[in-house]
Amino acid sequence: MNAPCEAPASLEAAGLRIASAELSELYTAHSRAIYYLALRFLGDPQKAEDATHDVFLKALRKFDQFRGESSARTWLYRIAINHCRNLQQTWHERHMFPNSDSPIWEQTAAGESPLRILETKELGARIQKTLDALPPEYRLLLLLVSDQELSYEQVGLLTEQSSDAVRGKLHRARKAFAALFAKSE
Amino acid sequence: MKQETKLSTGQQHEQTAEAQTVKTTPQQFENVEQLLRYDAAQTPVPPEIASRLNRSVEQSPPPRRPWWRRIFGGG
Repeated sequence: MNAPCEAPASLEAAGLRIASAELSELYTAHSRAIYYLALRFLGDPQKAEDATHDVFLKALRKFDQFRGESSARTWLYRIAINHCRNLQQTWHERHMFPNSDSPIWEQTAAGESPLRILETKELGARIQKTLDALPPEYRLLLLLVSDQELSYEQVGLLTEQSSDAVRGKLHRARKAFAALFAKSE
Repeated sequence: MKQETKLSTGQQHEQTAEAQTVKTTPQQFENVEQLLRYDAAQTPVPPEIASRLNRSVEQSPPPRRPWWRRIFGGG
């Protein structure tokens, strides 16, 4: 698990004040979701911290472009996804995984079974290890779908595909995750 | 919302038995989303991000006025 650190319920609770009221509001409501996505997508707490900072700063600078056509959460996710993808555009990461359409990900699991763990202590590390072993597309889908504030339609918009495609890929992503997670025990 | 969370009878028995016998109750998640939601809830946001953001916002130059406003004035 990552190093424990207390999360402020709000910035004020931590004795912090963000200069912009808009940013402060956005941060209080969505920083946990954005940080978690960045952490598990990038797999590195320091990179996730930098990314979260950059995402909210970009959001503040582009705030006049936010017209409320999507939810603030979706808008922030879009900025975060683009940012994290840009960070990952290195040769190593581009070539590390087979494409998620590859049949290899179909063969990894016999079925979906409940995911059991004996201790929560090492849970974060196991989840990270499992997500790291998945194609980035599956990793992103699972992370987005696990946010209960997002519908399949919104996940589809964020990942530029139909909600039916999201459902199809999600099924394969879950199976691949479950199989890899079981092996990580 | 998105996922079925019903347990089969066998799974329910298994969960109950485990909960009764082990003090450090084993966690069981029905699906990946549930597991990730649990993990997200256990993952706090480092407070350093907020202080860094504060510094960045305070150091940011004010937005530049568009050229026509600089020439013709206004706003």
